[in-house]
Amino acid sequence: MVWTLAFDTSAAHCAAALLRGDQLVAARAEDMGRGQAERLMPLIQEVLAEGGCPMSDLDVIGVGVGPGNFTGIRISVSAARGMALALGIPAVGVSTLDATALDAERPVRVHVPAPRDQVYEQGFGCEPAVPLMRAGGTDGDTPVILPPAPAELAERIARIALTRAPFETEAPAPLYLRAADAAPAKDAPPVILP
Amino acid sequence: MSDLTILGIESSCDDTGAAIVRGTAGNARVLSNIVMGQAELHAAFGGVVPEIAARAHAEKVDLAVKQALSEAMVSLSEVDAIAVTAGPGLIGGVLSGVMCAKGIAAALGKPLVGVNHLAGHALTPRLTDGLTYPYMMLLVSGGHCQFLIVRGPDEFIRVGGTIDDAPGEAFDKVARLLALPQPGGPSVEARARDGDPKRFRFPRPLLDREGCDMSYSGLKTAVLRARDEVMTDNTLTAQDQADLCAGFQEAVTAVLAEKTRRALRVYMELNPSQPMIAVAGGVAANQAIRAALTTVAEEAGAGFTAPPLKLCTDNGAMIAYAGLERFALGETDDMTLQARPRWPLDKKSAPMIGSGKKGAKA
Repeated sequence: MVWTLAFDTSAAHCAAALLRGDQLVAARAEDMGRGQAERLMPLIQEVLAEGGCPMSDLDVIGVGVGPGNFTGIRISVSAARGMALALGIPAVGVSTLDATALDAERPVRVHVPAPRDQVYEQGFGCEPAVPLMRAGGTDGDTPVILPPAPAELAERIARIALTRAPFETEAPAPLYLRAADAAPAKDAPPVILP
Repeated sequence: MSDLTILGIESSCDDTGAAIVRGTAGNARVLSNIVMGQAELHAAFGGVVPEIAARAHAEKVDLAVKQALSEAMVSLSEVDAIAVTAGPGLIGGVLSGVMCAKGIAAALGKPLVGVNHLAGHALTPRLTDGLTYPYMMLLVSGGHCQFLIVRGPDEFIRVGGTIDDAPGEAFDKVARLLALPQPGGPSVEARARDGDPKRFRFPRPLLDREGCDMSYSGLKTAVLRARDEVMTDNTLTAQDQADLCAGFQEAVTAVLAEKTRRALRVYMELNPSQPMIAVAGGVAANQAIRAALTTVAEEAGAGFTAPPLKLCTDNGAMIAYAGLERFALGETDDMTLQARPRWPLDKKSAPMIGSGKKGAKA
C-alpha cells in the first residue's frame, strides 16, 4: 500500500496529512502566525507516528506551493525537496487553487486571500484559466469558492499528489503570482571618457 | 578519533553552497564544494535583493546538495551529520537551507548541526591550514568586518570591527559610483592599478581613535563628493576613475593595516604558541590589502595566511567543517532549530551593530 504524506504552510497554519492508499489515516493542523519553520518537522513526525508510518517507508510527498505567504511556501517546499532527495521518492507541488477546486462542480472560480485586499484567482472550466492576482471583490456569475480548513487542505494536497506522482517530472516550486519587491538601482553612473 | 563525513549547506546571502568535508577537527579535507551564484539575478538592482535571493535558494539548495554528493562520490548514507548555516544572514535564504537540511536529516534519521555563518568563516583556517588555537582572525567581506581571537570552535573574542558598513560593501558602492562592474572588489582593484593614490586624499575614519573599531560609511560619501567635483555633465575621465579607485583603496588599506596592528598587539599578549593571523572574506582577495597585512603580521611576529578565495567567500565547505568541529564535541540540534537573522559570535562583548531591541546583528 502506498504511503503519501502532504504538508502545507502557505498561510497562517502548519498542516500535515497522511494517506495509506487513498485512505486518510492521520491529519493535523495548527494555526500559527509564525514559527512554522520550527514546528513543521515535529508536526510531520507526529502525523507519521500516529499513522504508524516510519518516514523511510514513505512513497510520495505532496507539498502546498501556494499562492500565499512567500516565506511560508518556501518553508514547506524546501523541506519537501530535502526529504525527496534523501528518500529518493517524488515530491509533488500542488497549488492551493487546485486543492480547493478538487471535487468542486465546474465551472468554479477559486479565490485565495492575497495582501492588501487582493485575491489570487483561478477558474476551473472558466476564465481565468491561468492563475493570477487581482483586486478583491466578487464579480461575474461563476460561483466562487475559498480554500478549505488547513487539515483538509493538506489531505487534498495528498490526494492530488498521489494521482500526479507517476507523471511528475519537476521538483516542487513556489507559486508566487507576484514579482519580488525590488526597484532597479537609481542614479545612473557617470559616462567614462577615455 | 575516526574520520567524520559531513554535508554542509550555506544559503545566507546570494550564494547557494553545498559541500562534503571528511576528517577530524584540525585535520579535514574538502571532497566537494559546490557554489551556485546569483550575481546576474541581482545585477539590475545594484545590490542583493533579499526576496530574489530567497526565491533562488528555495529552488537550488537541494540541487547543490545532489551535485556535492555526486562530485564527492559519497552517498547520503555515508554522511555522519548534516550541517547548515542557521544565521546570521538574509532570513529567507537561511530558512530554505535550514528546512532542506531538516528534511534530509529527518528522512535519514541523521544528526542536524546548526552552524553560525561567521563561525564557518572564522574556522576555515583550521580546515585549510590546520591552525592551532588561539589564532587571530580578520573577517572582511561584503557583509562583515571584525577582528576575532579564535580560542575554540565555539569561543570567539571580538577585538573590534566596523561600526557601520563592511569594506566589501564600500568597494561595491564605489564601483557603482564610478561605472565599474559588480562585484566591486576586483573591478576597483584593477582600475586602481592605473591610478595615482596620492591625488585624492580620502579620510581614514576612526584612525585617530584608540582600539580596533572601524567605519567605512563616511569613506563612501567622500568618494561620491570627490567624484562629483571632478565630474562634468555626468562624464568622468578614465584617469579620474582610476585615481579615485586608487585613493579609495589606499584609504581602506591604511585603516585595515593600522587596526590589524592594534588587534595583533592584543592577541600577542595571550602568548600564543604558534602566533598566526588569518584573513577570510572576499576582501582578502585584494592584493594591495593582502600585501599590507602580510607586512603588519611580520612586524608583529605572527604568521599570515589567507585561505584560497573559493574557501574565503561564502561556501558550504566552511559550514561542513564548522559543523564537524561542533559535532565532534557532541553538539547537535533538533528539528526545532531556528533560523536567525541576527547571531553574534562573541556573546560577551557589547554589540556593535544593530543593538536595538532585536539585539546585535553580528
